[in-house]
Order: sequence, then C-alpha cells, then structure tokens
Amino acid sequence: MRKILCTILFLSFSTSTLAEISVIVHKGNTNSFNKNVISNIFLGKIKTFPDGSVAIPIKQEDESINTRFSVEALKKSPSQLKAYWAKLLFTGKGIPPKAVANDIEVLELVNSNPNIIGYIDSNKVTDSVKVIATY
Amino acid sequence: MRIISCTPALLFILITSTYSAFAEVSINGFASIRATSSDQDGDTPAHQGIEGNGELSFKDESLFALQARADMGDGLSATIQIVAEGKNNFNLEASRAYISYELTPNHRISAGRFANPLFYQSEFENVGYAYNFARLPKSVYQPFEFNTIDGITLDSDFTFGQYALTTKILYGSWEGDFFEPLTGETNSFGLDDIVSLRANFSGGWWNIYGGVIFNVLDGGEVDTDVIFAAAQPAIDFAISQGATDVEVDNFLNAIKYTGKDGRYSYLGFNIDKNDILIDFEITRYGIKDSVDVFNQVWYASLGYRVTPEITILVHTEEFTQDNVEDKFLSKVNNQILFDTGIAFAEAFREYEFKGSGVTLRHDFHPNAALKVDYFLGEDSRTDVGDFSIWSVGIDLIF
Repeated sequence: MRKILCTILFLSFSTSTLAEISVIVHKGNTNSFNKNVISNIFLGKIKTFPDGSVAIPIKQEDESINTRFSVEALKKSPSQLKAYWAKLLFTGKGIPPKAVANDIEVLELVNSNPNIIGYIDSNKVTDSVKVIATY
Repeated sequence: MRIISCTPALLFILITSTYSAFAEVSINGFASIRATSSDQDGDTPAHQGIEGNGELSFKDESLFALQARADMGDGLSATIQIVAEGKNNFNLEASRAYISYELTPNHRISAGRFANPLFYQSEFENVGYAYNFARLPKSVYQPFEFNTIDGITLDSDFTFGQYALTTKILYGSWEGDFFEPLTGETNSFGLDDIVSLRANFSGGWWNIYGGVIFNVLDGGEVDTDVIFAAAQPAIDFAISQGATDVEVDNFLNAIKYTGKDGRYSYLGFNIDKNDILIDFEITRYGIKDSVDVFNQVWYASLGYRVTPEITILVHTEEFTQDNVEDKFLSKVNNQILFDTGIAFAEAFREYEFKGSGVTLRHDFHPNAALKVDYFLGEDSRTDVGDFSIWSVGIDLIF
C-alpha cells in the first residue's frame, strides 16, 4: 500500500511539474486555428494566418519547453527538428523561428504584435493574449 | 569553379560582423569530420574522391561550411555559403552566393549561384546532419563538377489542409572544368539553358517527389582535346580508305557533345512513421543521341529509430547503364567511322556497380550526430572489383 501511495504521489508531482503548453496569439487575432495549421506555421510550411496576414512564429531559448513543443505539437524529436530546419536553412528555403528569452518576453511580443504566434507554459498565460491550442 | 582567396582578417570580419546598419546578418554553418577507409580488389578506387588505398583518411569526406545571410527587410535577403572540403585541401570556395526576394509569403525568387538540383537531395548533399546516411548513396550523388550553377530560381509553397506542395522552377548555366574518368584529364566543359522543374508533395509522415532537368551541352575541350583527338587516327585511316569530308563531318557531329541535349529525371519517396524510416529514389540521366549512354540508378534504405537519439539504417544501391545503341550514328554511313563510333560508346560506358551498407546514427549532442557506416560493393571494372568502405564521423550544425 505504501508503495502505491508513493507512486501516486510521484505521478501527481511529475504531472504538476510538466504543465501544459499554450500556443498564444494576439487578442485581436480572429483566425480559427487547428493543430495542423499551427504545426505548419512552426515548420515554415505556411507563412500566413488563415486570413492572409503574415505569421511570425517565435520559440524560446529554454530548450526544455522547445523540446516539449517539438515532440507534442510538431511530432519531431529535437534532433529531427534540427535536421528538418538544416535542409531548409542551407538551401535558402526557410529560416527557423527566432528564439526569445522566456515566457514573459513571448507574452510581451504577442501582446504587442498581431503577426506573432508563440508558445508558453500554460501557468503563465494572462488575459492579455489569446490561447488557440494547448498540448 | 572559382576558388576565392580569403584572408584571416576577412574571415574574422565575416564571422564577427553580425550587425550592420542596413541588414540583420545571421551566421550559421555545418561541418563533417569523417575518418574513411576504402579498399578494393584492384588498383583503382571505387569512387572518385575517396582514396582506395586501405588507409585511414580524415580528408576525403570532411568539410566545413559557413553561411552568412543578410536580411534587409521587406523580403529581400542576400546569402553566401563558403565551403572548405578536405578533398580540395580545405581551400575556401563560394558554393552559394545569391539574393532572394519574397514576391509573396509563398513565392520566393532567387538569383546568383546555388546548388544544381540534379536530384532530390542535391541541394543539401553537403549538410551531413540533415540526413541519416553517413554519405549519400554514391550511385546517385556523385561529385559532379556542375553541382553548383549560376541562374535564377522560383521556389513556391502551397498547403492543402494537412498536405504541403513545394515546387521549384530554375533556369541557369554552368561553365567549368570537367574530369573525364576515361582519360583521367580535366578539360573545359559547359551546360547552357539549364531548365529544372521539381515538385514535392507531403503529408504528415510521407513525402513523394519528382523532377526533371534539361540542358544543352557545350563540349569545349572535352570535344576538341579528348573526343576529336582520340578519333583522329580512325578519321585519318577512314580518309585513306576513301571517306569523304561529309562523312567525316557527320561522324564528328555524332560523337561530339556540343549541342546535344542532357536529360535528368528522378522520382522517389520518404516514409517516417512509427519510428520506421523508408527512403527510395530512382533516377535516369544521360545525353540524348551521344556517345554517352543513359544511366539508370537507384537506392533504397530501411531504418528504425531505436530511441529519439539512435537510428539504424540498412541501405542498398545500384548504378547501371543502358546498352550501347547505334542511333546516334544514324547519319554515319562510312563503316570504319561507324565502327569507331560504336567503340567510343562502349569505352564511354565506363562501369556499373552495386552494393549495400549499414549506418548507425547517434545524436549524442543537440547539434551533432555520430555516424558509423560500413559499405560493401562490387564494381564491373576489372581494376576495381569488389570494394569496401567504412567510416566513422561527426556531422554537426551551428
């Protein structure tokens, strides 16, 4: 019984430390998104939102959240994603999203620019932005 | 190709100047450090550029590259890529130098010097980190002199729900020195009016592609110093036996490269599902109505991603050539010259080979992959015969 309790406690702790990731856009962004569109934007396959306005994806300098987003949303391991971008970058077909410092910087950029789309820890989401998907 | 001289000071400026008043400059790069050992039954190496003396070489398959991209805003950018390859004594070479302009978010036009998209992976064949092979299959990805061309290209992206279509249309030319394996000499050669069309259609876990390239050859010294020179004794003999000037002209027109049409085509697919990886590409290329017969080559690989960091790949490939036909000699009526033409075509038919290998890839670092590869093959040339290549190396990007 003690072992079971310990396992349950461990699992709940693990879950709480790995919070969801929220994909966020500007509050005024009225586009409807599905996960394919989000994936295609972050993989550089499409460069506009559904309404035709330019989409600028950004990532974070923190590799742990990048890794989780890559695996959950893009279905690629970090090395697969790097190999994918290497093909595009060195053939002039695309450049990977720029990295910003942290959740706060993503929030500020998304809040100030309707073209930016980013992802942050769901616990850090504020009313200043719009959540379009969670992973 | 032009070898540019680059002083240490210039290199320092290139690497460190990441800020400009006019553009945001980003520097990236890739490198491969590979120890390769190849050996064969005969005295001739199986592949050009890989020494076949059984000794370990750290030069044959190693390279360093730096790419600088200046983003000037409003969709305009300039890119230069400088590569130092071990097989060229690490001399610096500007392998890419082009400007790009985004006509729309999905259409980009570029002009300058860039990769010749001969086959599916040609544009990134130097970027070892980008693929799981230790070296791309030599049956298809040979070190062609005209891997880099000058011209203009339009790249487009389209999406249809979860599917993506990318297309490329290119026009360009190439001029340079061509290594003729038959003679072991290097002579001037050229490709004019290169037109390339490619389409790539992909879903979440699959990708299919195909492309064609057309060009018109300028035989240069290969015509005058190799082919015509080699044919001269036969021409002299034919004239002594009564061959007319018209018959000789028809013969020279039949065996020369200048004005002939080059044709390249390729087709293939990739699958990456449930950690199982499959790659297949088949290509056919050659020069129409010439002494050079068409090549038909292919490769296939089956891989398994054991963990996100470790992938094992088994691969097989084959390089074959069509049998010699006499169609290119249809206007040559003189029997001596006709027989000489057939003998030339047989000589140019060079060789065939096939082989299989296994590759282990370990992404031991976020930016680097260790690759171990072993390949066994057999070559139709008697001075090559059975051959083996093994290599251990690291591919990285930064």
